[in-house]
Amino acid sequence: MHSENAMLKIDNLHVRVDGKEILSGVTLAVRPGEVHAIMGPNGSGKSTLAHVLAGRPGYEITAGKILYEGRDLLALAPEERAREGVFLGFQYPVEIPGVNNVYLLKAALNAVRKHRGLAEVDAFEFLGLVRDRMKLMHIEDSFLSRGVNEGFSGGEKKRNEILQMLVLEPRLAILDETDSGLDIDALKLVANGVNTLRSPERAIVLVTHYQRLLDYIVPDHVHVLVRGRIARSGDRTLAVELERRGYDWVTDEAA
Amino acid sequence: MSAPLATRIAEEHAAASESLPRGLAGAERRRKAIEALTAQGLPTSRDENWKYANLRPLERVRFTPAAAPPQGSVTLANLPPPLEGYARYVFVDGRFTPALSTPAERGGVRVDSLSRSPSVVLLPSALAVQGLADARFALLNEAFATDGAAIRVASGTDCPACLEVVFVASADAQAGASYPRLELEVEAGARLGIVERHVSVGSDASFVNSAVDVHLASGASVQHYRLQETGARATWFDTLAAVVAENATYRVHSVGVGGLSARSTLRVQLAGERAELGLFVASLGDRAQVQDTYALVEHAAPNARTEQIFRGIAAGRARVAFNGKIVVGKAAHGTDSRQSLRGLLAGPEAEIDVRPQLEIYTDDVRCSHGATAGKLDENMLFYLLARGLDGATAQRLLKWAFLEDVVAKIEVPELRRQIEQRLAGQMPEAAALQELL
Repeated sequence: MHSENAMLKIDNLHVRVDGKEILSGVTLAVRPGEVHAIMGPNGSGKSTLAHVLAGRPGYEITAGKILYEGRDLLALAPEERAREGVFLGFQYPVEIPGVNNVYLLKAALNAVRKHRGLAEVDAFEFLGLVRDRMKLMHIEDSFLSRGVNEGFSGGEKKRNEILQMLVLEPRLAILDETDSGLDIDALKLVANGVNTLRSPERAIVLVTHYQRLLDYIVPDHVHVLVRGRIARSGDRTLAVELERRGYDWVTDEAA
Repeated sequence: MSAPLATRIAEEHAAASESLPRGLAGAERRRKAIEALTAQGLPTSRDENWKYANLRPLERVRFTPAAAPPQGSVTLANLPPPLEGYARYVFVDGRFTPALSTPAERGGVRVDSLSRSPSVVLLPSALAVQGLADARFALLNEAFATDGAAIRVASGTDCPACLEVVFVASADAQAGASYPRLELEVEAGARLGIVERHVSVGSDASFVNSAVDVHLASGASVQHYRLQETGARATWFDTLAAVVAENATYRVHSVGVGGLSARSTLRVQLAGERAELGLFVASLGDRAQVQDTYALVEHAAPNARTEQIFRGIAAGRARVAFNGKIVVGKAAHGTDSRQSLRGLLAGPEAEIDVRPQLEIYTDDVRCSHGATAGKLDENMLFYLLARGLDGATAQRLLKWAFLEDVVAKIEVPELRRQIEQRLAGQMPEAAALQELL
């Protein structure tokens, strides 16, 4: 794989959680404009990879490195990664009663802008931007005054993740099982939102268990993670084959 | 420890008794209060309901009421901005101060200064019930009180944005004590909104011992806002007793941020059928502050309801405690009580004590309670960091959100704004948060 001009370059990444090795040498390069899907059975380390990229505490990196736009990603604090354009769409977005959705969006956007040396967003423009993206994600107006994810259904939470992504316009979006628990209409909305963000200067990493999402967000590359290692990589047809033959096919090969 | 203290109080009282105003409470009533106090002794930290309070400052304070401060030593500029539409009554070191007050005629509402209106008949105090262990500081107030606000709200009055009573402490604890006193009687069907504030001007090391007595008649409805923002080294004791008759609704919103040692003792009796109590308390402690609240709610009649919410944050080396006891009596079938008590530890040396207690002596009741004490939620924190917020802002935001359940109940927009600013001011690095208010 040509990794010279990669936006994200993961090299031989080993990660432990509570003394147990979860990732055992992941190597992956993602170039601008690409969409990569990371698939794999439960417990294969998909979510761990997503969390490590976002900088969640509790993961011990025992070997390997991660370069993001040529910089050592692991040396950056989570908030610095976010301001540098890395976005994690959570598998289980937390509810934060008392913190207003709009406030969080605004604080997050201003954090990025400040980092880039830009002035704070104009309140009027900001609201226009948010309303525009809300429309795209079919999110009701009442959302504006509610607490972050407070009382949201699973689908609403996922839609909110995508809304945040659309407002923040990250350069690298990592979406951790954003499709789980969605009905077909919500899945299409989420996919539509993600596709809106696709552009030659951005990259997207989709972490997913099922091929279903990939019918709507067509990936350039598909990787299968098995026991903490990428066991197989291919184009979108790999996802179709996985759907047909199941994970055992790759798992057995990797064993 | 407590016996010599009671003796010293009795001695100080004997020396001061000639100069205490008689219209407020006759010598006989004051003497009885001192006798009861001497007999019971002041609480010690070994007493179950006082173990979280800081009683040590009592050893050093002077109990004799402070002399009236020199005229002009407290000015309007020292006071919190007045609430629009509210008639304001200001007491400095326990004495009504007309120059700082802006009384206004409110139909059906009568406000008297207890020392200036000897004709005002004192309520048979719910505070001074003999043998009630937690009325001891109320007895102390009764023995020494120099003045107070007596408020009578006539039947059928509707005054939802009505009165503001501001108690200012200006004297140093070495010079003398401040005894705020508030008696509130709300007649049948009347509706009242009242704000009670405790602030400091001048010395920030005052000794304040406040007593509040509330009677709600049938169908009355009262929103009672209480804001304790005394000086950084103040010792603040407070006793509130309320009796709520049938179909009456009493909502107490209490915010405590001030003082070095603060203790509030609340006792509310739901005496009539379908009486309702809302008790919403927020306490913030930082540095070496102690914020302690003890709330006893007695359900004495059927089908009454209580909603109790406590949110406390302890930072620095502070201790923040809430002890909420609900007693459901034999007659109180159909009781519906909900308790939600939550404490947040915001520093490795801070202490949180939340304690729900429930005593039920009848069947057919619905009583729920939840109590938690812990640190900021790591998942919430990481979520905010992953969205680019820095650690300090994320923590501040989550602390803010933690108090929301109490703050959101404040129905007076201007007061809510003031309280939000006060709470933000109490949190470290508040400047950034001020921007969103």
